[in-house]
Amino acid sequence: MAAESAREFEALEAQAAALLEIFRQGGYEQVAPSIIQPADVLLDQIGEAIRGRTYVFTDLSGEELCLRPDLTVPVSRLYLERHPRADTPARYCYNGPAFRFQPRGVGGTHPREFRQAGIECFGVTDRDSADAEVVLLVADAVKSAGLKQFNFRFGDIALFYALLDALSLPERWRLKLRHYFWRPPAFHALLSRLAKGEISNGEGPVAALTAALADEGPARAEELVANYLETNDLPLTGNRTLGEIAERLLDHAADLRSEPLPKEVATVIDYYLAIESSPREAIDRIAMIAKGAGIDLGPALYVLSRRFDLLEKRGIEIGKASFATEFGRDLEYYSGLVFQIEADGDKTSPIAGGGRYDGLLRSVGAPVEVPAVGSAIHTERLLASVRGLA
Amino acid sequence: MATNLVVAVPAKGRLKDNAAALFERAGLALRKTGHERGYSGVMQGLDGVEVAFLSAAEIVHQLNSGRVHIGVTGEDLVRETLPDVEGSVEFLRPLGFGRADVVVAVPDCWIDVVRMADLEDVAAQFARAHGRRLRVATKYLNLTRRFFASAGVAGYRIVESVGATEGTPAAGTAELIVDITTTGTTLAANHLKVLEDGLILQSQAHLFAARGAEWTKSSLRLRDAILDRLAKSV
Repeated sequence: MAAESAREFEALEAQAAALLEIFRQGGYEQVAPSIIQPADVLLDQIGEAIRGRTYVFTDLSGEELCLRPDLTVPVSRLYLERHPRADTPARYCYNGPAFRFQPRGVGGTHPREFRQAGIECFGVTDRDSADAEVVLLVADAVKSAGLKQFNFRFGDIALFYALLDALSLPERWRLKLRHYFWRPPAFHALLSRLAKGEISNGEGPVAALTAALADEGPARAEELVANYLETNDLPLTGNRTLGEIAERLLDHAADLRSEPLPKEVATVIDYYLAIESSPREAIDRIAMIAKGAGIDLGPALYVLSRRFDLLEKRGIEIGKASFATEFGRDLEYYSGLVFQIEADGDKTSPIAGGGRYDGLLRSVGAPVEVPAVGSAIHTERLLASVRGLA
Repeated sequence: MATNLVVAVPAKGRLKDNAAALFERAGLALRKTGHERGYSGVMQGLDGVEVAFLSAAEIVHQLNSGRVHIGVTGEDLVRETLPDVEGSVEFLRPLGFGRADVVVAVPDCWIDVVRMADLEDVAAQFARAHGRRLRVATKYLNLTRRFFASAGVAGYRIVESVGATEGTPAAGTAELIVDITTTGTTLAANHLKVLEDGLILQSQAHLFAARGAEWTKSSLRLRDAILDRLAKSV
């Protein structure tokens, strides 16, 4: 499947040239970021799950490098090289190889070297329009490559955050749930633990210290923790600060004294995360859940609805698409819209995927948050699918 | 004399001494052939056996590729290196030496951290405060990934460390470590503590057989003879 023969390579190149032409006509400038990337930046963003599948190596100078596992981070870095102040909108398109180790036996749809053709849109503050623009352009591209039958699957990370914001929760639990969102089994365990009030303090000196902290503010708590470390001959080493250690003990002390998470709140979250249907139906159900819980999701639900309106007006058959609140929980840098294009109902090997990642540029060095949305086409899969239908 | 069985034995260090003593006790003393600093030898009392003196890590690779039939090495190295342990090697016999625990250890000033579950919370907090992931220094990349995944911990990244891993938290190049410990003294000296449920593997040296080696009747017979002598010498 990967371009292991010259003929296959040429077929992929011809397809890519056509895709790039459509992207350029859509106002996207073609760029070619380096294949070899500094491992540090990428690994901090993508985490160990993909790192385990990334080809990482050390060169003769001792620098840790990797073969890019995808192109979003490399293109984001390229944008920052050109616009260090991140103050200019830019639209880039690309085509090139990415590399991921694949365990034996997963088959031809997951080659270890694959070619991605895609677009990234930076700095456009009308987020809904930019989201729609990217979805439409990628849909145009796969259509023009000859893909006739395909469906969209959508999700929206921002809507989940809006739900957490609207629910009545202690801030420390909100932060925790946001973080655990990306690890579904741990999220589920956390939610049921909070709802059951299963928090124990244990015994021993640290438990006594935690109990003593309960009524203290952060400054006094830090002092008490410092005294404890001193008394027990535990020097403060490493990068975690006294304040961070004290903060967690304070949170724990607060957990011990607070009522469990109300069952209704846990139920609302569970119901929300179970939604998978057509987009319009999903919006109705989310609205009903919010109404039943007496909460206001603010503009997030309206944004979702407006986005689908925009797409429908431009010819996407929203009625045939699906929307799942769970979708997108495996790529931590997404922050809003997530979507993929599926052929033959195959969820696990999508033809294209993408979404909004407003937090990423800041974490790779931008001085400010940069609105960003993009999508990449898995070109081998597209070619195979087009041939299958031809 | 034709070679029917290749036995890989560690070429240096405590594993070498222990392995030599083990075979000696079984009446199968290892003798170098040729140059004293060479890397091949024979097993006294068993014709047809070739002994290959290799590094413990290399023995794992040779077992995996089937270039040696049986070999003495650490379980930690086998579990770290081989993607399919059960498919590649057979555990013939634990040898009672080379004991070491592979553990997750954090600075002992982290009094808020007791179990693996705490690490994910710390990772979240650390990302908010420092804008990056927790770093775990280790040479056991795969063992660490598997163990952390099974514990539901994901907000970390590994920095490879091949020596003086215990020093990395104090030096600030990592926040915590995964390393081997025998008595815990080195960890304590570096102000590190093992998490309550942070034991990844209780390792010791084993005699392994390579599933991918060429097993003829005579190599099987020689293997059984060695196992028999080892069993009787205990």
